[in-house]
Parts: sequence; C-alpha cells; structure tokens
Amino acid sequence: MHDDHHHHCRKKTFWSRRDFLFQSGGGIAGLALADMLDRQGLLAAETAQSDTCELPIPGNPFAPKQPHFEPRAKAVISLFMSGGVSQVDTFDPKPALTKYAGQPMAESVVVRQGHPGPLMPSPFEFHKHGESGIEVSEIFPHLGGKVDEMAFIRSLYGRSNDHIQATYEMQSGQIRMGFPSVGSWVTYGLGSEAASLPAYVVMNDHRGGPLGGPNDWSAGFMPATYQGTLFRAVGDPIVDLAPPEGMSVEQQRARLDTLAKLNDIDLANNPGNSELAARISSYELAYRMQGCAPEAVDVSAESEATRKLYGLDDPITEPFGRQCLMARRLVERGVRFVQLFHGGIGQQNTDTWDAHSNLIENHTQHAAETDLPIAGLMTDLKARGMLDETLLVWHAEFGRMPISQRGVGRDHNPGTMTGWMAGAGIQGGQVIGASDEFGYKAAEQRVSPHDLHATILHLLGIDHEKLTYRYNGRDMRLTDVHGVPIPQIVA
Amino acid sequence: MRSARPSVLFGVTLAAVLGLAATAGAQNEPINFTDHIRPIMERACWNCHGEAAQLSDLNLSSRDGALEGGTKGPAIVPGRAEDSLLFRMVAGLDQPSMPMTGDPLSDAELAAVRTWIDEGAHWDTGEVTAAADALAALENDELPPGARDYWAFQHPQQAPVPPSREFDHPVDRFLEASRKDAGLTAAPRADRLTLLRRAYLDLIGLPPTPEQIEEFLSDTERGAWERQIDKLLDSPHYGERWGRHWMDVARYADTDGFEQDYVRLNMWRYRDYVIDAFNDDKPYNQFLREQIAGDELDYVTDETRIATGFLRSGPRVNFREKDNPERRHDYLDDMLATIGRGVLGMTVHCARCHDHKFDPILQKDYYSMQASIFGYVEIDYPLLDQDEADAYFAEMRDVDDRQQPLRDEVDAIETPYREELRAKMIRERFPENVQAAAFKPEAERTPGEQLLAVQVLTINPPRSQVAEALSPADKARVDELNEQIAALEDERPPTPAMAHIVTDGDYRFAPDGPGDQVIGCPECRTPPEFEGTYLWEEGGPDYEAPPNYFLIRGDPFSPGSPMSPGFLTAATYGDPPTEIPRPDGRTSGRRLALAEWIASRDNPLTARVMVNRIWHHHFGRGIVRTLDNLGRMGDAPTHPELLDWLAVEFMDRGWSIKEMHRLLMTSEAYRMASSFRHQASGDADPENNLLWHYRGQRLEAEILRDAIMTVSGGIDLTVGGPAIFPHIPADILFQSDGKGFWCGSPEPGRRITAPSTGIWCEEPDRPEVWRRSVYVFRRRSLGFPFFDTFDLPDQNQTAAARNVSTVSTQALTLMNNPFVLNQAELFAERLEREAPGDLDAQIDLAYLIALTRRPTDAEREVARGLASEQSLVDFTHVMMNLNEFLYLR
Repeated sequence: MHDDHHHHCRKKTFWSRRDFLFQSGGGIAGLALADMLDRQGLLAAETAQSDTCELPIPGNPFAPKQPHFEPRAKAVISLFMSGGVSQVDTFDPKPALTKYAGQPMAESVVVRQGHPGPLMPSPFEFHKHGESGIEVSEIFPHLGGKVDEMAFIRSLYGRSNDHIQATYEMQSGQIRMGFPSVGSWVTYGLGSEAASLPAYVVMNDHRGGPLGGPNDWSAGFMPATYQGTLFRAVGDPIVDLAPPEGMSVEQQRARLDTLAKLNDIDLANNPGNSELAARISSYELAYRMQGCAPEAVDVSAESEATRKLYGLDDPITEPFGRQCLMARRLVERGVRFVQLFHGGIGQQNTDTWDAHSNLIENHTQHAAETDLPIAGLMTDLKARGMLDETLLVWHAEFGRMPISQRGVGRDHNPGTMTGWMAGAGIQGGQVIGASDEFGYKAAEQRVSPHDLHATILHLLGIDHEKLTYRYNGRDMRLTDVHGVPIPQIVA
Repeated sequence: MRSARPSVLFGVTLAAVLGLAATAGAQNEPINFTDHIRPIMERACWNCHGEAAQLSDLNLSSRDGALEGGTKGPAIVPGRAEDSLLFRMVAGLDQPSMPMTGDPLSDAELAAVRTWIDEGAHWDTGEVTAAADALAALENDELPPGARDYWAFQHPQQAPVPPSREFDHPVDRFLEASRKDAGLTAAPRADRLTLLRRAYLDLIGLPPTPEQIEEFLSDTERGAWERQIDKLLDSPHYGERWGRHWMDVARYADTDGFEQDYVRLNMWRYRDYVIDAFNDDKPYNQFLREQIAGDELDYVTDETRIATGFLRSGPRVNFREKDNPERRHDYLDDMLATIGRGVLGMTVHCARCHDHKFDPILQKDYYSMQASIFGYVEIDYPLLDQDEADAYFAEMRDVDDRQQPLRDEVDAIETPYREELRAKMIRERFPENVQAAAFKPEAERTPGEQLLAVQVLTINPPRSQVAEALSPADKARVDELNEQIAALEDERPPTPAMAHIVTDGDYRFAPDGPGDQVIGCPECRTPPEFEGTYLWEEGGPDYEAPPNYFLIRGDPFSPGSPMSPGFLTAATYGDPPTEIPRPDGRTSGRRLALAEWIASRDNPLTARVMVNRIWHHHFGRGIVRTLDNLGRMGDAPTHPELLDWLAVEFMDRGWSIKEMHRLLMTSEAYRMASSFRHQASGDADPENNLLWHYRGQRLEAEILRDAIMTVSGGIDLTVGGPAIFPHIPADILFQSDGKGFWCGSPEPGRRITAPSTGIWCEEPDRPEVWRRSVYVFRRRSLGFPFFDTFDLPDQNQTAAARNVSTVSTQALTLMNNPFVLNQAELFAERLEREAPGDLDAQIDLAYLIALTRRPTDAEREVARGLASEQSLVDFTHVMMNLNEFLYLR
C-alpha cells in the first residue's frame, strides 16, 4: 500500500476541490472561493504541479510563521549524547591532568556518587586537526577532520548533577518537569514546512529511549501538539500510521470517502465552523502522511555511496548512521527540528555515555558508534548544499569529572562540558569559552543552557526575548529571564 | 553548584549570603547616596534590579553590582554620567528608558544622579547596610493603598437581576442584558435529542443508550428536563466525569515522575475520593478543607486523610532527597502553585522570588503561605482507626528494634569475609595504581592514593558471594540468625490498606529514602542540634512546625527572617487565625487555618474560581476565560455581574456543585442551539463572547475513548478501584523504560517493600481494560498515546482549560489504532445482534447509538453504499470518526 501513497509525496497533476481548501486556509472563505473557482474551471489548472506533501491544513498550528529577522538556518538537527560525555577525554584537552595525575584536586569537590578520587589524566591521546589546529581526542578521528567547520563551546555548564534534571535543563532550560522543550518552542515559533510530516521528530537510540523518557521532548505547558513525535525504530515510524494488516488501500479509501461525504453533510448544517473544516482536512493529510512518513525515512532509496558515508555498512556505526541519514532526509523534506538521542536506558553504564566504571571501553565504544555517522552527516549536508541552512548542535546533559572514580571511571559534572555547533553559516574552527585548568568548571565566557537556547533561536531568526507563550499569567520564554546569544556564533 | 553551598544550611549570616564587599568611605558632598540616590533607587530601580530580581542580570543594590553591570554592560562608569548606561536610560538617552513602569525621574532627580555619578558614584552608607535594608524593606513590604480595589479582591455582591420580558431565569436575564447592549440575537432552543446528548456527555461523559433516549422522549410531562438532569446527577458516572475535571486541577498522576518514576500504588484512593465527593455532592468548601487539612480536622477519617493526597499529587523526585534538600522548596512551590492557581485563581507562585509583578501578591505573602504548609511530610498511612494505626506503627518499630541486634551479629560475622572479598574484587577489577593505593598502609599513601583507597575500600561485594564464602560454622550461625530475623518478619502485622497522605512532621528527621544510603553531599546531612522525631509520637511534646524563612530571590540557601504562617494579604479580611491548635497536639493546625481561610465566605476568590470552572465546563469557556488566573494578567470577565451573582448563589446554596448544575442547565442559555446562524450577531460577536448561541465542544481525550466503548457496547462501567493499563505497543514501552514492567495491584497480603519504577502492564487489548478512561494509569514518564494525541494536558502542573487541537495524528489514531478498530467490530456485531439482517435498521440504530438521532435519507443512502459494498464494520468505523461523534453540541 505504500506504493500507492508514494506518488502523493512527490508530484501530483491536479488538485481536488478539497486540496484547494487546505491550501486556501480553509473555513468558509475557502469553501466559497473553491466553489467559485470550481465553477470557472480554474482550480486544477491554477494549482497543477504542486507537491502534495506541502499542503497546509486550515487552522494548522504548524502553519509556517515569519521569523523575527532573516534566519541563518531553517532546520535543526540536535545530537543529544545521553549519559554525559567527558569533556576532558573528547574535545577539551587538559595537560594539567597529566601533570598533577594522582593528586587531589585543589578545591573541595562534591561528587554524585560516593567519595571523590584524585585527578585522572585522559587515557586517550589528543591530536591537532585542520587549519585551526584544534585538538580532538583520538576516539573521534572522523570528527577531527571536521574541526574547521565546527565551533566548540568549552564552557557550557548546567545546574543539576542528576541525569534527568540535567537533561530537562538542556532540553527546556528548567530542571523541573512541565516545561516545553527547545524543539517545541522552535516549532511553535516557526511552524513547519512539511505539512504531512511531524514538525518535531525525535529518534531514539536502538537500545532504548534516553534517560528522562518522553518527557524530554514534552511540550510542557504548551498545547500537546508541539511535543516531539517519536519515530520508531521498527515498523511504521509513527504509532498508528498504517492501517492494520489485511486492510486494503481501497477499503481504507472507501471509508475515508464515506467519512468525507457524511462530514460534508454535517458541515453544511454547521456553516462557519472552521474547526470542523480543519478536522475534515486533517483526514486527507493523515492519509498522505501514511505514504510520506515511511518514504521520508526509507534509507533504502539512498545510493550505496551515501549509505557507506553514514556507516550503514558497519554494524558498529549502522544504528546511529541510520538515524543521521533519516535526519537528513527529514530535514530535506521540511521537518523543522530533528532530535537524535544516542545512548538509551538499558544497561545504563554501557548503553549510554555514563562512564562511572569503565571510561575507556565506554567512551571508545560510543565515540566509535557516532564519530563516522556524524562526520558523514556533515559531509552529506554540505555536498547537498544543505549545511548552510541546517544547524547541528551536539551536547550531552552534562560533562564528567576530571577526577577519577575508583581509577576506572568519571562521575557526573555539570560544572562544565563541551558542546559544539556546526552548519548555519557558523564560523568553524573556533573555540569559544574555556574551562578551568582541570576541566572542572566553566571559567571563561560561561555559557548556560539559556545562552545555548538563545543562540539556537537566533540562528533560526527568532529573538529569544520575543518568542513568548502566555501561561500562568506570564509571557513565558524558553530562556525564562536569561540568555544571551553566543556572540562568536551569531556574529 | 554544590560546592558553593554554605556548610551549615540556613545558619549563615546575611552578609555572607549576600556576598558583599567592605563599605565605601562616607561622603560629605552635597549629593550623597543615602539622602539623594537611595530613595530614587528604591522607587525606580531595585524592584527589577535589586536583591529580589535581576532583570538583564543587573543588580544595582551594591556599587560592585552596578560596576559589573548586566547583559547590556556596566551600569555605571564612575566619574562619567554621560557614559553610564544607568544615567542614559533614566534620562531617556538610551532605549528602553527607565524605569520601565512608574513615573520617570524628575529633573531634580536626574540632576542628582548625574552629579552623583560624575562625582564617583560613592555608596556612602556601606553596601551591606544598603542590601540588608533592601531585604528588610522586602520582608516588611506593604501593599500600596488601593491594591484591594481590583474586582477579584472585593467580596462578590449580588447585583439586582436585570429585568427582562423574554426570560425568567436569572442567568438568562444577565446574559440577555449584555446581548441586548451588543445587538445580538439569542439562538432558539435546540431540539430535545440534541439537548439529551448534550446533558449526557456534559454530566456523565457517556452518550445516552437507545433505552435512555426512549425514556426521555416518552416523558412529555412538564419538568422532564429537570427530571433528566436529576437522574444524571444521581448516576455514579457523574462523579467520574466531573471528578476528572478536578483531577486536572490536582495534577493527578499515579507515579512520581523524574528518573525513578516510582509508582504511587495507592494514589487511586485519592482519585476515588474525588469521584465519591462529586457523587455525594460534598460541599465544595468542605471538599477543599479535607484536601488541604484532612489530617487536622475535628473529625478525621480515612476519607479525609486520603483527601490530603491533593497536596502531594505533583511530581517528586523521591530519590537521593537528602543530597538535594533544595528540592523540598520546589515541592512546596508545587503545592502553593496548585492552591494558588487551582483554588484561588491567583498566580501566587510568581511571588517566590520577588513581589508579584502585576497582582498585589507580596513575596512575604508567599513565604507566609509557605509557613502554613511548611511542616508537611508525605507518608504512607494505614487505613485504620487512630489507635490501630498507632499500634501498627509501634509494632513495626518493635520488630525493627528486635531485628537490629540480630542483623548486627550477622554483620559482625560477615565483615571479615566481606573485607576479603573486597580485596579480591579490587585485585581483579581495578588497575594497578588503584590496587597499590588500596593495599598500602594508610600512613604511606599519598593524598591522592588516600582518595582512591577510600573509593574502592567502600565498595561492597554482592551478598550472594559473601554467603558462599562463609565457613560451615559461620554459615550455620548466619542461617540461624537469618531464620530468626525472618521469624520476626512474620510477626509484623499484615500490611493494611494504605493511603498516600500528607500530615505534619519534621523533615529534618526523615528516615533515609531510596538513594539516601549513598552520601553525595555530606554537608547536607548536618543533623539538627536538638532531639526530634520525624512524626509526632505518643507521649511526646506537642508538634511544632520546623521554621521556614523568607528566601532572598527564592534561593533556599539565602534565608532571610523566619516566617509566621499567613495568607494573601489582599484577599484577607478581618483577622482570621493562622493556626488552629489541635487538641491532640499531633499537628500544628496551620494547614487547617489555611483551609478555613480559603473555604470561608470571606475569601473573595474561592467561590468565584469554582463557579467560573463549572460555567466553563457547561458552556465551553469561562466567564473569565483564564480559569486559573483572575488576576490582572488573566482575561477580564465577560459578565462580571453574573459571575458575582453566581458566586454568592453558590455559597448561599451551601457550596453545592450539583445545585449549580441544576441552576445553569435549566437556563435557556444552556439549551440554545449551537448551529444557529445569524448574520448580524455573527458579525457583531464572531467569537460568541456574549453567548448568543451554544458553544460546541470537542470531547476530551478520555470522554472520546469512553464514548467509543459505550457505542460498541464493550465498556465495563465498574466504578472505582486500582488503575487499569490499556494496551500500549511493546516497543513504545521499551523505549520509555528498559527497566521492565510491573502489572496491576499487588496480590492481597503481599507486602511491597520497595517502590517500583516505570511501570506499565504489557497487556493485550481486552475487555478487562475497557473501563472508563478516568481509571487509566497515569504514568508521568509515559503518557497514554491515545490521550496525548487528543490533548491531555501536562500532568505536572495544575491545568486550566484544556487545549483543543486538530492535527492529523488524531485522524491517524481514529483511522488505524487497533483499539478503535476492535471497537468498530464490536459495534458492528452489536448492530447485527440487535437488528439482525436488516441493513437499514442497523444504520438507523447505529445513528441512534452513536449520535443520538436518526439519519437523514441522504445519510442513510451514503451509509448503505459503504456497508453494502464493503461491510458493516467499515460503516461502524466511519461512525466513530465522524465530526459529529467527536463533538458535544
């Protein structure tokens, strides 16, 4: 049945009367106009050659909206490394850890688990890369080759030592539950250019969802419409996307046609009700989504070379490579915000970056799983001319301690972490901010999650102080009363 | 950051808290800070850029703060007023000009500021004093005169009901008066079947059955409508419908949320309490008293204790709480926000960090109200008589006490083995440098090695390994001791039915909870310097609430003065008690006093908020559209006199909610048609603000699911009891939590010793779960997909009006969801059964069951086409997707 749907996602020769209603914004005016055009035989001719995946829906909360100023990026791909990545073993080299190896850190340290250990040098070597000469750990050889396109933020910090609250903070700016995630804010602020795909898509690690679960992409106090839509790893990407086994396309079409007829009779009895008109349209859109969503994530349509670029030919890189490739396809089709989680709750110490007891194996493994796919994504976006319009943001919920946990791991550290951004015309090859001598706390140009969020919004053409949602008697903001866009990024 | 915490919580001096430097020298210039600048700062700067708030990250309460500036740069360049942002903005040279609100500075004031900066911007009185004074000013802040003039703080009064020739009903006469002013024409009455469907969906959330339709149609006597309303109000399903509305207010869920997402095994008892309260028409003021102070009433029962679940229905971490004492302030805020928005219609929580920006709510009001609930603790309480409950706790403690020496002996025997195994673990699992550190004598370790040694010498080998390692003699003794411990375990009283309640206690003596055995923040564990107990104990002194403090900027680590209990100043009339001492001395009586203040006729907010809610559910929109905010940032009432009239009526009728249903539903307004078209009215009031026709409402997520099951005939209408787990696809369960699943309620008599996390039963879609949606388990970490799709509000904060979205995922759900398709098949089977072999009769019956009417000829024609070309199931499935099916009209 997908074959039948596929042609809807590309080109269509003419529009039906109902198609026109979606396009015209619906309501009575739309109906009247459609009638008029119908009578004059104009409808099909006027609108031929349109892509039906782009048809808007009347009253659609995702109708594209004007940004506050000229945007640098149209879409975001967020790469969330769940569990907490150690900055001093990846992108923030600290020679002092070698120099003072085995000694206590000077100031009193509070760790999350048990007792603090002594300073522990990174077991990994760092190498200079690119023209910028930025040092990257040996576990990221492919990303190392991309440093001249990446802007590293070595002074990102958060407030919570707990995975969940820290994840909430990176997602929503708040360590409490009930606040909209950045993806929700973005889709609320800009809508979507892909009417028959969700505006905000989340894809989880093949091992399971991230710490914090579905609340991580919640719309909080906003309408639930704005929450992220989880694309499933197996079967249809969206829950209830396809009719059950055994129902033919004709059968479903017959039901929908009957539904439309009966709803039209009802609409005639309730003229002027735009909500009813919108609901009628939503069914046609849903019908199209059944074809468009699977098509959007169908990586089998990609060339062998592209699949290889993302590491789909290697079992280590295949799962996250697939996520990255799907992300590109979704962004290509107008999805506004794609969020990929790497690291899933299963065995927390091995399936996420949460390296309490096994830093070497853990980070080697997770870096190997993501390094080539992310570099491949950057290469591919660039080759397709999409990188300048797509913002990549990479971070975890917190960094890790420069001190050892029993000589084999590192505990959580919200005091500093390294994140990076690329694409969206951002000047690459730069390092922003700095952590202290040991990589324990953000020291220079400290960047909070609010600052990060303000930066993301800015690149999308949104003034973070002006994007508000009235709730609780207040004009709420993603950045609360804080946040300054990072000057080197938005420059 | 943790390490910035003061070592003794709440015991630091003000100067240290504020982190202020030494004072600047005194000045004897004509312009000085104290006399000339400070008054200006107090009036025009410090509200937003002082200790209470630092908009744009600017704090002008000290010279350092002014020099450091905020996001826009330094506020003051000493000696150069023209280059100082502060001067430029108050002088209007830079935008935005300051102050943002209130009068601009006078010319004399501007001159003073300019001179003061030009002369070096000296803070002559010393910053510590200035900051302390600023704090004292906040703590002693008074409302400005006239703050109470705002309508919501005035007692509602009944204005005379406007005269009307057309209408008798007071509600209609109020509405007609405003319609007339706007030139609107009211819709005629809807037909009887439309009204019947409206009343059923509105009051019990189920469409009427053919028999119920027949019954109503056959009652042609006067008063049939009134009798129908009474019949519905007597239905046990009324409480399920209207109780669900209250659960939105109460941010109800069956789990804690956050990482562990522990299950609240007995939370459903609170849900059933709410349902029962609505069914019993418990007076609303009593309903509130029980939920806020059910453990403190003169007559405490199981029911009133269960009611306090209201306070603790919000999200809690409940893991490693002792390492994170600041969370308690978030929980207190959760309660105050829920009481504030849900019950009082005021955003009280906005005053947590500073005086409310828009409403007359002082920061000190917030901390006074916090004092009223500050003694709270959340405990599991046996549903027994007081004596029996006391005895239960005593027996449990007794078993603990007798087990302890046995456990100590086991521990003593096992310790050498454990140490040996630990050494083995260290040798096998850790690198050489760690081993070297661990096995060296302490004196020889470097400071770094000492840290490593402590880390590994505190690990514990698994119990099973220890047991295996024991010598035969030691094993025999340990087995013997364990048998004795187990025997004592059997002496524990059987676990009675428990409820999750709130009562008074002292959180500083709380027993360790989950995660508390690991100490991540030793300074957080500094014990109080005095004796105390977590809960009041028989024979002990009368309960006294632990102190709470005015928190500077809302920061739990920046305490100001200790607070006394109190209420919202602007909404308090007379001198109500803030503590009502309890004869048994078990609790403080503070929450009772708060509850009495809220539930009093003297409170200008409570009745208004509730009648506005009731109105909202009947008419689709509140008289004040923002149900949870009657303040200045909320919407203005469309019919202020009607709102007040209803509020007084509500109180006069004994706070009876059912009386309000009767009152509102017998108005003509409730019986107006929704599909009325009237050009002039439509032009004048397209939003129907003045209610000239009935406002249709899309069914809520739960009611839609209930309606589907009612129509199919599959619904199980059992009332009350533990939650149900409708089917969720396994991969979604897996993605939400890899920890596994846990099903249903425990078997009778089974003792749950540890909380369970992340549960959802992996059950097939079957009749056992076709119960009403109010009984569906609410897991904070995983919304039930069907409900999420149809706009279930966030369960973490008190919710006002529900959002109604129209998105294609709703269509997908109704088109493809296996549950919906199953129900469509059941519906078809039902039609075959009840009208065998006659397609037209089946279609007619389907319309009657699903839409409470007969089909038109055109509709029958369309339906017949599908049913005959495809099948009856195709048609019943379409019925469940019809717009008309999804709406209350």
